[in-house]
Amino acid sequence: MITHEDILKIAKLAKLSVKETEIEQLTKDMSEIIKFADTINTAVEDKDEEFDDINNIVNAYHEDEVIKSFDKEEILKNSESVGNGCFVVKKHVNRR
Amino acid sequence: MSWELVAGLETHIELSTKTKIFCQCTTEFGGEPNTHCCPVCIGLPGTLPKLNRAVVEYAVKAGLATNCRIRNISKMDRKNYVYPDLPKAYQISQYDKPLCEHGFITLSSEKNINITRIHIEEDAGKLIHERGDTYVDYNRGGVPLVEIVSEPDIRSIDEAMEYIEKLRLIMKYIGVSDVKMQEGSLRCDVNISVRKNGEDAYGTRTEIKNVNSLNFIAKAMEYEFNRQVDILESGEKIEQETRRYNSELNITEIMRGKEDADDYRYFRDPDLVTIYLSDEEIKKFKDDLPELPGKKYSRFVNEYGLPEADASLLIKYKNVAEYFEKACKNIKNKKTAANYILVQIFRRLATDSEKEEFNISIPPEYLNELVVLVEEKKINSSMARNVLEKMLDTGKPVKEFITDEDMKGIDEETLRKLCGKAVKANKSAAAQYLAGKEKALGAIIGYIMRETKGKADAALATEIVKKLIRQ
Repeated sequence: MITHEDILKIAKLAKLSVKETEIEQLTKDMSEIIKFADTINTAVEDKDEEFDDINNIVNAYHEDEVIKSFDKEEILKNSESVGNGCFVVKKHVNRR
Repeated sequence: MSWELVAGLETHIELSTKTKIFCQCTTEFGGEPNTHCCPVCIGLPGTLPKLNRAVVEYAVKAGLATNCRIRNISKMDRKNYVYPDLPKAYQISQYDKPLCEHGFITLSSEKNINITRIHIEEDAGKLIHERGDTYVDYNRGGVPLVEIVSEPDIRSIDEAMEYIEKLRLIMKYIGVSDVKMQEGSLRCDVNISVRKNGEDAYGTRTEIKNVNSLNFIAKAMEYEFNRQVDILESGEKIEQETRRYNSELNITEIMRGKEDADDYRYFRDPDLVTIYLSDEEIKKFKDDLPELPGKKYSRFVNEYGLPEADASLLIKYKNVAEYFEKACKNIKNKKTAANYILVQIFRRLATDSEKEEFNISIPPEYLNELVVLVEEKKINSSMARNVLEKMLDTGKPVKEFITDEDMKGIDEETLRKLCGKAVKANKSAAAQYLAGKEKALGAIIGYIMRETKGKADAALATEIVKKLIRQ
């Protein structure tokens, strides 16, 4: 069951502003969406519970040998703002 | 009222693989910003991460060395949070199937600190805040880490320090990390709460994030313990929150409260396939583990007969322990070799990191030759001390400084005559000794050592001189 609180929490995580008047409809819609997605649970599974990789592939590794990295210019070229060889973004304070 | 500290640690250790966890960029520390990067580790869309085989191997070794059970089937998950040090806006980590679980580390008190789990994950980039801007360097982004999570079994700062030291030493011995704290290759999150002595239930805990030196961890724990006790004693409640240690003010300060706690929305990373380890592979990793520091310590004490203090100093630095083992080969009294290292050689290595590197001019075989000569009584200990200094200065072997003549030593008859001469030459010292001043003998023995260029057996000379004076 989706509650009003769930909607507010999801909105906050998604950084969306939700109007009070929209909550009712969103709650209904979201419940429908979840119900639809739940259909998948009715599928018969013959897989090992632990082994949840749908492709049944295991252990795709790279060897521990260094390959030359990209040029700094190439790495930074899509950045809107660059300084001192770094990507420059607006200051986020003390998140972590 | 007395309070008990309850703490658990999440220890992040950087692995010393050559390449990053999901790409083949170098993990080398430093370098110009954004020069150890590629589209994978700066999180460009459409790139595909591929797990580093060595990361799995190193993490499994870390698990085996800390008595963990290794999962046969494991996987990688996405941990979502938005911050510029993480270009994909998620960190690839492990959630419900970590590589290693249920381990422990035994402290010197024989108490076990249980390890809940060890998982692998990628490190974040480095942020430099300057004025209104943040400069982002992704060289460290994607460097492999193990996170070692302990149970809340720690009851004192001393226990926390010993636990971290033990962990650090084990990682160094098994060669999975060089654990240089100054380069940030070991960092801790400290979970801490307090309760009245004798109580069973845990108190509300706070988490101090990302403390990066032993000293700071101790200080942060001390501050936080006192802060929580003060709050409880004044009748208020502890808030569950995330805090940070401010080393300039020596306080912990709030970062975020419970209501702002992250919702990481973990889910399986569909770009990375299942990690499968067979029992045979795990056994092979186990068989390949070198002798661990705890075991080496017991062997040094029980088999080599070293004093506990000497043994713990020798094992504290992996290179020193290895050097010692070679230097004391085929020697009956291992303590002699230990002494040369712990006294004379250590005197030349002032700092911890110098001892750790143990970069000295002579190979262990040279020290071994010297100790053999002492043991065979071909040279006496004061002569050996002098020779060792010369060897260390020049990097040359014993034979460069000692002739066959020297090794003959001085026969007892010659020594007896010389002692007589020495007593005559130092009459006042002899008189002082007779009057009860033991130290006065030093002048006489010094005379003998000078005359023989250090070849005389000082112990024997002392015995003879004492007899002569009393006569």
